[in-house]
Amino acid sequence: MAAHQITFTINGGQETALVTSHTTLLSLIREQLGLTGTKNGCATGECGACTVLLNGEPVNACMVLAVEVDGAEIVTVEGLAQDGQLDVLQQMFVEHTGTQCGFCTPGVLIMARALLDRNPNPSDDEIKDALRGNLCRCTGYVRIIEAVKAAAKAGG
Amino acid sequence: MKEKAFVIGQSVRRLDAVGKVIGEALYPGDIDMEDQLWMKIRMSDRVHARVTAIDTRQAEAYPGVVAVLTATDVPVNEYGLIMPDQPVLCGPGSSKAGADIVRCISDQVALVIAESEETAAVAADLIEITYEDLPAVVDVMQAIADGAPQLHAHAKNNVLNHYRIRHGDINAGWEQAEVIVEGEYHTGYQEHVYLQPEAGLGYIDDEKRVTVVVAGQHAHEDREQVAHALGLPEEQVRIVYPAIGGAFGGREDMSIQIALALAAWKLQRPVKVVWSREESIIGHHKRHPFTIRARWGATREGKLVAAEAEVYADAGAYAYTSTKVTGNAHLMVNGPYEIPNVKVDTYGVYTNNIPCGAFRGFGGPQGAFAAEGQMNKLADALGMDPVQIRALNVLEEGSITSVGTPLPPGVTLSKVLAEGAAQSDYWHKTGAGWARISPTEQPTTPAKRRGIGMAMGFKNIGFSFGAPEENWATVEIHGDAKIERVVVREAGADVGQGAHTVFAQMVADGVGVPLDKVEVIGHDTAETDNSGSSSASRMTFMAGNAIKTAAEQALEKWRSEQRPAVATYRYVPPKTTPYDPETGRANPNFAYGYMAQFVEVEVDIETGHIDVVRVVSAHDVGRAINPQQIEGQIEGAVVQALGYAIMENLVVKDGRIQNPFLSTYLIPTIWDIPRETKSVILEYADPRGPWGARGMAEMPFIPLAPAIVAALHDATGIWFDHIPLTPESVVSRLREHNIGVI
Repeated sequence: MAAHQITFTINGGQETALVTSHTTLLSLIREQLGLTGTKNGCATGECGACTVLLNGEPVNACMVLAVEVDGAEIVTVEGLAQDGQLDVLQQMFVEHTGTQCGFCTPGVLIMARALLDRNPNPSDDEIKDALRGNLCRCTGYVRIIEAVKAAAKAGG
Repeated sequence: MKEKAFVIGQSVRRLDAVGKVIGEALYPGDIDMEDQLWMKIRMSDRVHARVTAIDTRQAEAYPGVVAVLTATDVPVNEYGLIMPDQPVLCGPGSSKAGADIVRCISDQVALVIAESEETAAVAADLIEITYEDLPAVVDVMQAIADGAPQLHAHAKNNVLNHYRIRHGDINAGWEQAEVIVEGEYHTGYQEHVYLQPEAGLGYIDDEKRVTVVVAGQHAHEDREQVAHALGLPEEQVRIVYPAIGGAFGGREDMSIQIALALAAWKLQRPVKVVWSREESIIGHHKRHPFTIRARWGATREGKLVAAEAEVYADAGAYAYTSTKVTGNAHLMVNGPYEIPNVKVDTYGVYTNNIPCGAFRGFGGPQGAFAAEGQMNKLADALGMDPVQIRALNVLEEGSITSVGTPLPPGVTLSKVLAEGAAQSDYWHKTGAGWARISPTEQPTTPAKRRGIGMAMGFKNIGFSFGAPEENWATVEIHGDAKIERVVVREAGADVGQGAHTVFAQMVADGVGVPLDKVEVIGHDTAETDNSGSSSASRMTFMAGNAIKTAAEQALEKWRSEQRPAVATYRYVPPKTTPYDPETGRANPNFAYGYMAQFVEVEVDIETGHIDVVRVVSAHDVGRAINPQQIEGQIEGAVVQALGYAIMENLVVKDGRIQNPFLSTYLIPTIWDIPRETKSVILEYADPRGPWGARGMAEMPFIPLAPAIVAALHDATGIWFDHIPLTPESVVSRLREHNIGVI
């Protein structure tokens, strides 16, 4: 099987990896780099649990091939906190119980981060539009919306 | 009066929240060991067949394959939560008679263990299984008919269980009835869709125990099931739960636990498995579809005098917890009402469909769908207000239930109904009784209609019908002159609901220390005693009672200078009894939660699309240990129940699931939730509950579907007795009545 060498930035650090043609970004992140914060909920782009930022845009990591990220910049949930300081979204998800079982949380946080980066003051409908591809089975989404609003209010 | 408390009653942060938001919390699929192998489980290709041969040669010869295990490798080839009626692996040459038969598509046939996940998957397809097809039955009514294929020797005509209620004199009841309503109610399957598909790791630990790291709901039950199938003493088996990615009842029965333990035990190497979403949806049980025929009678004044029902549940191919799910439905199909004359027959029926078992509410939602439907129809037939008719009939302290006994002390149905109705903003109490405040405001779009409806319910807390019930907790107080740290050992699974945080709050109050001095040790059978399962809304109540006494006893020891001061307490609640086989008379439960819901919906009569506008959910929780977590349970349960009522449509054809993907089995997204969910949290202490607490996590699920149906009736004048209320089913029912014809 052909191996490809790719170089990319993840959570601020540069990495080089050997991947096959069919390795997904999700498998690269979880299995090769051991960053298990990004979750695999369906592997078919239907649940949003594996959402990561690829060059600032949210993507389902299960639907991106690893070879496509050569030269790219990736941020996973592990990259949201800076110098041990929680991102304001992470703080607000803790405050408002935006997480229950927590399996959808990394993807939700990344998607919400992408939203606040382009729209620091979103309406409820804009939050819903952003998170419509992120399934959560525990919270009923109410506290997720609250946490995102609180984060926006706190300066995003 | 509320018992005094410091940490209890506060919405403290979840202990696990930071780990979850920074991506550090490890779930079963996140854990690897050096030298681990990967497993692929080959499931059955048939719904009912004898496996005459399994040819594993090609799979075994495939490079990278370490072993292929089949029925002959299982020491005691049977398992099952209430009865061991399912083979661990189906195939010839088994230790158990009849284990060569597959009875559904999720039966497991072979385990392939290989050096990589990909290799295991490729090799699993190389196994050649020879089947001799047997006649299958996939319909409950056909399954109980004469001449149907028989699935299990112990179940004549495929009837797993039949419960009866013969209360009062049903014929006299019908004579008194001045108005009678009838309905045939159908409820569909529901799939749990916890976000974390099944995954786990089996290995041999330092003390030579076969250890399974997995997500479950009851570690000690998992241990018992694994030990039984492997023919090992329980001490040689260990179950560890890391973070659990949701459960909702779906992790109560076995899925991958025994397979992982068997593979690790046989090979003496770590073995990992991760199910795909498709494997998860096919591989674990579902909420039971029910058919319920009900006939209720009342006087002109609205007093219930007679209720009769026939209840049929499709158990699928194996028992799982069906006898208990149907037991709950058997009681709850009569609603939380005092009815002097009752006749009910409830059947759990084996078919070659996917097995059904525990799912939030556990038979309660199906029972309530019929009971509340009947109550709303009666109110309509009598021209009475639906709150008022309930106020006339709800069980009070000392009222006799349909199974001939009163509810345990602390019955608050009428308070929950009244306070819920008042706080819903839809009802008010007048001199003549309860009445709607104003007619529903209708949308200006001609195709849209709005309606308001309500329903209520009751749900047991803890195991029912004489099942052994206990919870162990150990509290250790460490320090010298001052208390430095308090450890609680409590196995109760935190499936995401926040149980560990609640345990810590109760320990903090029990010992009288700040929360940050408390450490919870759980999720490991090597470190804890049995706590029972995180199910039946029981963990706060059961663990709380164990923790409270253990804390008191540890504190006494601390005061008498013991260092560390350690106390272990086993809480055993008041005894319950099974249904009498002829009359149904029983003391089925030792505690209950009570609830009422009020719903506003908007339906598009052209498209059949239902928009749940607002939900008011009122609950007596006894004592809110952590109000924010309670609101989280209410909001989550309401959305899960909304999915059950109007969206989630698992299509099973000839025993096979047609839509095992999240793109085809649709659960609510963030756009599908009510515009407002208002939680009304009431705190009338349960005299048996710790600090007065009752369980509450299933309760907000139970009345929602019949409340939505009532609101739809208010909007359209039509009763809907089948769920899920998908747009196509709503449209077709409306068209039958010439509504929305374009």
